[in-house]
Amino acid sequence: MSIRLLALIPVAVAINLALSATVDAVNLPLFLDTTGTILATALAGPVVGVTTGVLTSLTNSFRNPTYLPFVVVQVLVALYAWFAARAGLFRNLKVAIPAGLGLGILAAAASTPISYKIFGCSTSGGVTLMTLLGRKLGMSEIGACAFSAFVSDFGDKAVTFGLVATVLHALPKRTAARFPLALRSIGAA
Amino acid sequence: MSGRHPFTLLALAAALPALAWTLPAPWGPAGTFAVALMLCLPARVARTALFTAAPFWLFLFLLHDRVTAVTIALRLSTMIASFVWLVAILPPARLVEALVAAGYSVHFAFLFAATLSAVPALRARAQRIVDAQRCRGLATRGGPLNRLRALRALALPLVLSALHEVDERALALETRGLSAGARRTPLAPPPDSAAERVVRWALVAGCVAGVVGRVLWRV
Amino acid sequence: MAGVTLADVRFWYPATEHPALDGVSLAVSPGDVVAVIGSVGAGASTLLLVAAGLAPRVTGGRLAGIVHTPPAGIVLPTPWTQVSGMAFSVWDEVAFGPANQGVARDEITRRVDRWLGRLEVTHLAARDPATLSGGEMQRVILAGVLAMEPALLLLDEPTAELDPAGAALVWRLVRELARTEQKTILVATSDLDAIPDFATRVVWLEHGRVRAAGPPADVLSRDDIWTEGPGSTTVAGVWRRAGLAAPVPLTVAGAVARLR
Repeated sequence: MSIRLLALIPVAVAINLALSATVDAVNLPLFLDTTGTILATALAGPVVGVTTGVLTSLTNSFRNPTYLPFVVVQVLVALYAWFAARAGLFRNLKVAIPAGLGLGILAAAASTPISYKIFGCSTSGGVTLMTLLGRKLGMSEIGACAFSAFVSDFGDKAVTFGLVATVLHALPKRTAARFPLALRSIGAA
Repeated sequence: MSGRHPFTLLALAAALPALAWTLPAPWGPAGTFAVALMLCLPARVARTALFTAAPFWLFLFLLHDRVTAVTIALRLSTMIASFVWLVAILPPARLVEALVAAGYSVHFAFLFAATLSAVPALRARAQRIVDAQRCRGLATRGGPLNRLRALRALALPLVLSALHEVDERALALETRGLSAGARRTPLAPPPDSAAERVVRWALVAGCVAGVVGRVLWRV
Repeated sequence: MAGVTLADVRFWYPATEHPALDGVSLAVSPGDVVAVIGSVGAGASTLLLVAAGLAPRVTGGRLAGIVHTPPAGIVLPTPWTQVSGMAFSVWDEVAFGPANQGVARDEITRRVDRWLGRLEVTHLAARDPATLSGGEMQRVILAGVLAMEPALLLLDEPTAELDPAGAALVWRLVRELARTEQKTILVATSDLDAIPDFATRVVWLEHGRVRAAGPPADVLSRDDIWTEGPGSTTVAGVWRRAGLAAPVPLTVAGAVARLR
């Protein structure tokens, strides 16, 4: 791995974990904790993206142990982002946001079994409430769990994809050209 | 305990949760949780472990019947207590040194260490940007669209400045020989012993046996 | 042959039309200290990166011409981006470079202690690098590069974050390194007043080309360096404004000698 990609990964992990402060400031129910993973993948490909995702789970699990089992979701996010980048889906917001919604569905589907089997759907207060609500609405145990995962992931991944697309377009061409996949992901190569 | 080799500590912190999930409930997880808590006591983090685990107990009792809730709660608490203990007892620098001394690629050790240093620095910068934009009168209230615009104004400078630095960091790392290819000299290799190596392998073997046993007995 | 040779070097950054260096030829011998000056964007930093072997290898882009350089250590202008991220103490940070080179442990200890001392940061040895001020960090990074004992030393604005005492320390060190250890040193700086103290030669870059090169007394006393370049030392500026006769002195001592 080139030294530039090696230097990118810790920064991408830090982006994943630092945006929580930003999200708190605007009081939106988002996580944005895959922003760095998706951005790193769109810039440099799946190996960098998957490594970022795995390191994110490892690093943050020290502060919040719920992160570690969801490493599978981070890996999936990186792979999805890779396909999206190769197809140039970050070329504008009109395409990026629906692509993000697609990822939201996939991420929710992937995180449900983890949340259910390991946590019994208790990963956070919000998720617990959503699950209770789902049960009240008549859903099955695992159905309610999927419901709460969907509610949190759907919007989150759409906003994340939009943010990454915005960042990619804001990069000066000179900087973007130094990353292998960057220009292709915005449809400029 | 803190004098033990980092890999031993790592093996123990990984084995306890693995056993919590593979041993039969509820005595298995209760046992592993007890062991994890006992480790936390001399490290003075038992209270932290309990406080971190407490919310999950609450959520689980809201969601499930008593037996299920206790089982899952004990497993989660084992994982939480093991992690809290590991963070308290193993300084990252020692783990990095252990990786280098064991001959792992310096790139690997670098990724782990650099990530740990990069996160708090960027978090602090995120907060500074929030404060600075607030001084400029950035509206963080209002409808979702307004808040998304505010999010953009806060997140974009953070991510762009972080990306811009990647180039400089790459140059600096290169000039300091990170990709030189020579075998890096360990600066302070942690002492190891044959006994510890045996213990490590025994822990790993125990976990594998647990997983295999669980799969076979279930099916 | 430990010196630096550049012959008609042209360099383009990735995805740019205009070359950042447009035909630069330069020869520097061991023991020489060359100050590279020019307006922003003139190509001084790029020249240092090419001499360090980092452009185009790490920056990307295209290089034409001949470059011969010994193993180099470069110090970039922004200290906080050069922290390795792998060291949890200043001592380890300075040891980072030699450790990567595979230097034996007792030799590393000798080098780290030596360079911490010469940069006067020994008292910071146990500190976490993330807690250092800009000036402290700059000195630690410099110590870290020097601990690798490169034959060629490249400094890009090494005193930008330092107070006058710290800057004086660095220029003294530069002079000693060239004189006693025969290192080849290139310095890109906007601290023009310091140049007569440490530089044996000055290279004035403009739009990626060498506009003038020679001893400081020649280059820095030119008139066009004020009208079309980055200017010169304060003393030279005063002398010129006062309309006094050539040759223009560069330092206070030189001016006093002329006035007497």
